[in-house]
Amino acid sequence: MFILVSLTYFAFMIGFERQMLASGLRVIVHRDVGTPMVTTNILYDAGARDEDPEATGFAHLFEHLMFEGTREVPLFDVPVMMAGGENNAFTNNDLTNYYITLPANNIETAFWLESDRMRGLDLAGERLDNQKSVVTEEFRQRYLNQPYGDLLLLLRPLAYRVHPYRWPAIGMDISHIEKANSVSARRFYDRFYTPSNAILSVAGNVDPDRVFRLAEKWFGTMAPGERPERKLPPEPEQSERRELTVHRTVPAAHLVMAFHMGDRLSRDFYILDLLTDILAGCDSARFQSILVRQKELFSDADIYLSGEADPGLVIFSGRLSNGTDIRKAEEAVITEFDRLAREHVTPAELDKARNRYESHRLMSYMSASNKAFSLAYHEVLGDADGINRENEQYMSVTEDEMVSVSQRTFRPENTSVIYYLPENR
Amino acid sequence: MSAQKINKVPEIITPSPGDTTFPEAIHLGNGIPVYLIGNGTVDLLRVEFVFPAGQVMEERHLEASTANAMLTEGTATHDATAINDLIDSTGAALTHAAEKDTAGLVTVTLTRKLDEVMALAQEVMFSPSFPDNEFRMLTDRRVQAFLTNRQKTSVVAREAFYEALCGATSPYGRITREEDYRSLSTDDLRRFHGKHYRPDNMYITVAGREPWQALSVLEKYFSAAGTGRWQKAPLPDPGIDPSEPGFMFREVPNSVQSTVRMGWRGITRNHPDYLELQVATMILGGYFGSRLMRRIREEKGYTYGIHAVAGAFHGTGYITIMTDVANAYRDETLGEIRNEIDKLRNEEVSDDEMTLVRNHLMGEIARMFDGPFAVADAIRGMIDYDTGSVYYTRFAETVRTVTPRRIREVFNTWFNPGEAYEIIAGGR
Repeated sequence: MFILVSLTYFAFMIGFERQMLASGLRVIVHRDVGTPMVTTNILYDAGARDEDPEATGFAHLFEHLMFEGTREVPLFDVPVMMAGGENNAFTNNDLTNYYITLPANNIETAFWLESDRMRGLDLAGERLDNQKSVVTEEFRQRYLNQPYGDLLLLLRPLAYRVHPYRWPAIGMDISHIEKANSVSARRFYDRFYTPSNAILSVAGNVDPDRVFRLAEKWFGTMAPGERPERKLPPEPEQSERRELTVHRTVPAAHLVMAFHMGDRLSRDFYILDLLTDILAGCDSARFQSILVRQKELFSDADIYLSGEADPGLVIFSGRLSNGTDIRKAEEAVITEFDRLAREHVTPAELDKARNRYESHRLMSYMSASNKAFSLAYHEVLGDADGINRENEQYMSVTEDEMVSVSQRTFRPENTSVIYYLPENR
Repeated sequence: MSAQKINKVPEIITPSPGDTTFPEAIHLGNGIPVYLIGNGTVDLLRVEFVFPAGQVMEERHLEASTANAMLTEGTATHDATAINDLIDSTGAALTHAAEKDTAGLVTVTLTRKLDEVMALAQEVMFSPSFPDNEFRMLTDRRVQAFLTNRQKTSVVAREAFYEALCGATSPYGRITREEDYRSLSTDDLRRFHGKHYRPDNMYITVAGREPWQALSVLEKYFSAAGTGRWQKAPLPDPGIDPSEPGFMFREVPNSVQSTVRMGWRGITRNHPDYLELQVATMILGGYFGSRLMRRIREEKGYTYGIHAVAGAFHGTGYITIMTDVANAYRDETLGEIRNEIDKLRNEEVSDDEMTLVRNHLMGEIARMFDGPFAVADAIRGMIDYDTGSVYYTRFAETVRTVTPRRIREVFNTWFNPGEAYEIIAGGR
């Protein structure tokens, strides 16, 4: 008789407590005594996928407005800084997330500020106009004034025809940002910025009971608002290969290939996350050793998951070595996909991917603010405790599953390709 | 809204920086100093190896960063593929670090894999073979990245700034050209490596939970080589030869934005004004509500961000302001920056603004020492630039006590309009 003891994959758990207030706000607390700081993280369940297709980029523009002050706090940053804190936010296709990290003894300042801007935001026209031009410059700086900066802007509408993932969080076009006005801002605010559409996650050197008392004090009596229903059109299954060729002033050609995959909680996500790590997660990965070093077709080759809540994409992205024919490069990538659909990855490859996952996970637990966000993110996906179940999902991935996911995913009719070529060729 | 009416605004407790000192070094048998930084909460260790082998040591341009990048491209016993495979199978991250004055490796590993990772670190740092074929491929990849960077207005403006400030012949000011990559040989790298990557020319930091666990492993892999007691050798003179201040335009065709950069000669960390200069730069452009951010982003909407920084290398320092703006606003932006500096040279900062910046900086210092990996980064600056372990204690004291009058003096001393370098990189 054997007794199986799993020594290697000892799971490090993130402990937390959770409550829902009468206002509908979900509150999560994780205590971390290794830091003098605390992070309050507020996640709003509203992202670019919730936008009107004629007014894309709005969720992100709105994130900017959340820093523009209220009647009570005209300059949001001032009290944060006075309390020795820092704060920021980001918007993606699924959600908008705000955080404040500050010395733990000033935690109540963060509650005051977040509850204030959840209800009392000043949406005056001039603030909006100014943030429209700031966001326009952000659009230019990140996507238009960088070589290869527009690649992902091109990819989304190619890979998605129906689902709102067809536009990026920054927006489909600068002209959409221009169209935003106070009326649409007010409507967005009232619809999405309510306690029942938000998750407050707190991590750091704090007593959970005190956090729940503060949450009750600052958010407990708010009107819950109606939790908006999300009815997004699902992306129909792709039935033929899509291809787009563009010419730009860049020094080298770039190849992008995207494949539809399952949603964030599907088994496919975990299998493909480990598989893409085996393909391109590190210097000894297959693409690095075969496509970059051995065949010298690419100077850089990566593959990763878009990682969105709804069914997402696996994205291959590679910069070609000088003189490589892009069709030849693409064939070499396809050869690797075909191999995955036929043969098991080696036990050493799987073991490596597991070790790397374990390191990454522990690394992400070094930071209280990371833990605060992760807990909120899992809660919005359905259950904060998901953070503690992922380890098992990853560790149980088998070689067989990798073969079958490859067969399902890396099919010609499930592919969208961009040939991004230098102008002078 | 109701919560706001019922509840009083919470009182703010003035932030304090916490403990900012660092431990005395422990010495391995052969004298290598090791700094142990504890208080980790997960079973990871971060081990960093630092050599005075940065750009300032170069006889030929690019040899410091190239020698560093080539460490993992082959050794006496393993080729590049085998090395990468060995590192990656442990799950560890091994990062190359080549900077102006130092170079080395940073490893982050599961504690249980420490022995394997240190064995590899020792191998790649002390017996790299610099194989020709890997060098050729690395060069091709670096040239391609270089050509891509040439199209970025921010990169072109940065290079033009440091060339003007430090001089085209100084290792800090040299502009990189494609032939610099092509003319380097593996012999250059072997010479550079042999001279600088030596056990008696390095120090180690270990950060994480129970870092002393690493000592016996470090002893095992790093103590055998070399018997000379470690002594910090002085760095060579960087040969600073600034050009005349003034305006420069650098064309980057087809850009939809321009990078605007303004800057001045700065001072080194041990200069008596250095800490006050940090506070001054913070007021000008170091945080979201700074003078420049308020004016140029929040009032004018010209940019997504604008920043001011004062920093230092060995033997010299810099002050610089940078932003990316639409081509149409670049001249106005330059004018607005000049105005904001002018105001700070003429009017004292209000007490409210001073308190805000004081508290903010206290929070920044506290965050720099939040967690063992952050501490390891923070103490590197103190060791590399001989500031002593009281640097942040002194900084916190300056933050607490510097007066608005003194800040105005700092702007008058170090932000002289006649001594400014002004650069625009963008479309015609």
